[in-house]
Amino acid sequence: MHALEARHAPVVSLWVWYQVGGRNEVPGTTGMSHFLEHMLFKGTPRHPKGDLDKLLARYGALWNAFTSEDVTCYFETVPAERYPVALELEADRMRNALITEEETQAERNVIVSEREGLENDPSFLLGEQLQAVAFSRHPYAQGVIGSKEEIKLMTRDGLYAHYRRHYAPNNAYFIVAGDAPATELLDRAAAAFGPLDAEAPIEPPKAPEPPQYGERRVIVRRAGGALPIIQVGHKAPRAADPRAPALSALAVTLAGATAGGGEAASGRSSRLYRALVDTGLATTVEASFQLMKDPYLFVVEAHLRPGVTHDRVERVILDELEKVARSALTDSEFGRVRRQMLSASAFMTDTITWRAWRFGQLLATGAAASLGEWYDRLAAVTAEDVRAAAESVFQEKGRTVGWFVPEQS
Amino acid sequence: MDIRRHRLENGLRVAAIPIAGLQSAAVLLAIEAGQWFEPIGRPGIARLCALAMLRGTITRDAKAWADALDGIGAAARLDVGSHAATFSAQSLGSDLDVLLELMADAVVRPAFAATEVELVREQTVAQIDDDAKNTRAVAERAWRELVYPKGHPFRARPIGDLDVVRAASADDLRDHHRRAIRPDGAVLVVAGGVEAQQVFDAAAKSFSSWRGGGSREERKVPDLRLTTAVRKVDVVPDKTQSDVVLGWPGLPRTDPRFVAARVTNMVFAADTFASRVGHVVRDELGLAYYVFSTLGGSRGQSPWVVRMGVNPINVERAVSTTLEELRKIVDGKVAEDDLELAQDKLVGELDVARESPAGVASLMLEGEVFELGPDYAERYPRELRAVTLEQVVEIARTFLQPDRYALAIAGPPLPERD
Repeated sequence: MHALEARHAPVVSLWVWYQVGGRNEVPGTTGMSHFLEHMLFKGTPRHPKGDLDKLLARYGALWNAFTSEDVTCYFETVPAERYPVALELEADRMRNALITEEETQAERNVIVSEREGLENDPSFLLGEQLQAVAFSRHPYAQGVIGSKEEIKLMTRDGLYAHYRRHYAPNNAYFIVAGDAPATELLDRAAAAFGPLDAEAPIEPPKAPEPPQYGERRVIVRRAGGALPIIQVGHKAPRAADPRAPALSALAVTLAGATAGGGEAASGRSSRLYRALVDTGLATTVEASFQLMKDPYLFVVEAHLRPGVTHDRVERVILDELEKVARSALTDSEFGRVRRQMLSASAFMTDTITWRAWRFGQLLATGAAASLGEWYDRLAAVTAEDVRAAAESVFQEKGRTVGWFVPEQS
Repeated sequence: MDIRRHRLENGLRVAAIPIAGLQSAAVLLAIEAGQWFEPIGRPGIARLCALAMLRGTITRDAKAWADALDGIGAAARLDVGSHAATFSAQSLGSDLDVLLELMADAVVRPAFAATEVELVREQTVAQIDDDAKNTRAVAERAWRELVYPKGHPFRARPIGDLDVVRAASADDLRDHHRRAIRPDGAVLVVAGGVEAQQVFDAAAKSFSSWRGGGSREERKVPDLRLTTAVRKVDVVPDKTQSDVVLGWPGLPRTDPRFVAARVTNMVFAADTFASRVGHVVRDELGLAYYVFSTLGGSRGQSPWVVRMGVNPINVERAVSTTLEELRKIVDGKVAEDDLELAQDKLVGELDVARESPAGVASLMLEGEVFELGPDYAERYPRELRAVTLEQVVEIARTFLQPDRYALAIAGPPLPERD
């Protein structure tokens, strides 16, 4: 359990990070962690279905949950005086969720609907395929939400077993940030979670990704989009790797610190924006290095202008990646990258919810033991570190390229 | 909250909300240059103008402006909505003067160079093409065309019509800029790790030279009421989910009933968990992953719509269930607890929004833009609490008739209706 003081507003944000996600699933049950996340909103004996929703709505809470490849997260940002109630709700559902047959059936339709909504998005479809092709053994290949067929096969008993195994205090990080002394925030949390029983320790999944020996490619052809899309993924190290801060800087170098369409004004000095958007080859471009428990992907995604070929944009992207791996950034360029990265970090920690989220993310993925440590590591990155990180990651042997090709309807 | 206000000689109103303990400042510059202020019959000009303002000024080309903005690590964007063109940004508090100078440069002195206008145009055309395959965008467009007559400022989405975008010249954008991008009616709100005087000094230094061209004509738009239920279905190939927009023309933000309407919206469908529709459509029946309603605030009748993502076989049931819930409200079958929940949610959100400088700035913006009074921030929660069940029912009866609505559906083919 970790607490951060944030005294600028009468608000507390609490987060529970369970160490379970797509990474802990096997074929046939993919999507189980995400399905389970939905079921945690269906009540406990103490707080029947609807209780939690209404209580938190009454407080004006910002609250939700999400599941990723690595974790399942629940959070509530509430007026500070409501912290004990939110805490009690989270502690209660850590061990006492009901997960009934009836609710499982009803929620299945909602999750299928969520999946169908995602399928409407060509970028999601391509990303899902890219992930599946990039990983041959590691469960990162499976993504998070699962296939529609597997969602339909999920059973109440399977979900409940998954819940009892993974939802326990010894398999979670608890993070709280807000308007009270850290010791007080922690004491309350200890009183709420302390009485809960631990489960047997969970072994991390044992399916390391074997080396890749050459570029892989995937094409998705659908009529459901007008603009061609290209995604270029390179195998990248885990969050705990010493190169992680430099790879974060590399993503900013390539596409800025903030994503956005034509309305976004920042990040336009980045290399790929200049090479693709300013030149009229693409409408948007993004680059991402995610903090993950296991080695994942550094992904560049561009949405092409109509009539521009995938080949042409792929060549430009690969040229830019090669350039950044070959020569260090100039002082002025590196100065801009550094300012964007450090400012983005300050913006995040000036919001209580995101301050708590970031801390949890660093802990859960092993990136750093504190916000301060991560900030210092970002601040210590040099232009040469960025070049070296690019050189180590942007290798043809670790590359997977995906094209979304719009078909005529 | 400690709110300080100042007005520049050119009419720009400035509000500063210093928050101790923060490093950054959130900046919102709302200019009355949204769709309401667009040239009649030229939808898309306002957004094109705004985007072109980000592509170079008479003192800095696009590259130099972008270098300078990224050089202070600021995050910024410029969005056009029904009422305003809003420049939203965040920087370290110590960089505020540089940020405001860059924003002012783009707003006051855009170059509208031909090559940059062309770039923005082509980007927009590509986006319009892509939106034709995007079920949410298709449903939104169809809904607006069902509700708003030709020439109405809200008939098109802010991105505009393809023909207008294709035909727009740099001179059209200059003309719109001269008439609409003006300091009178504009509001600058800054919240976060800054001193009020620092904000006023920086605003004066950067924006004092801003002048509007002539006086603005008041836009007169006849009141709208739907007289029947209208419906449009668009089939978008290779999709698995239908996006649904169901709604009515709303009411101006300046209408004295607007706060009651906002509470009604929350009782009805605004939130998945605090509203009746979310509770029934998602939670009880499992028909949709997302379902929520929004009520736009502008000088005109912005859309008041329910949006949902539904499997095609469930569309009819999700829509009829939504209308049944509405009918209950119209028939006065609203529990006191539904109203209290809605009020608690709306008031509680105001406290929670204070967690970030951007949240604080957003809280302040509406009151400043629509000149709702210097005590608005203090008064608004009381106004929410004062709304009665009778007002909710009256608002629903007046604006949300369950048998006179516009329904747009975009996605896979729907099953045959009985």
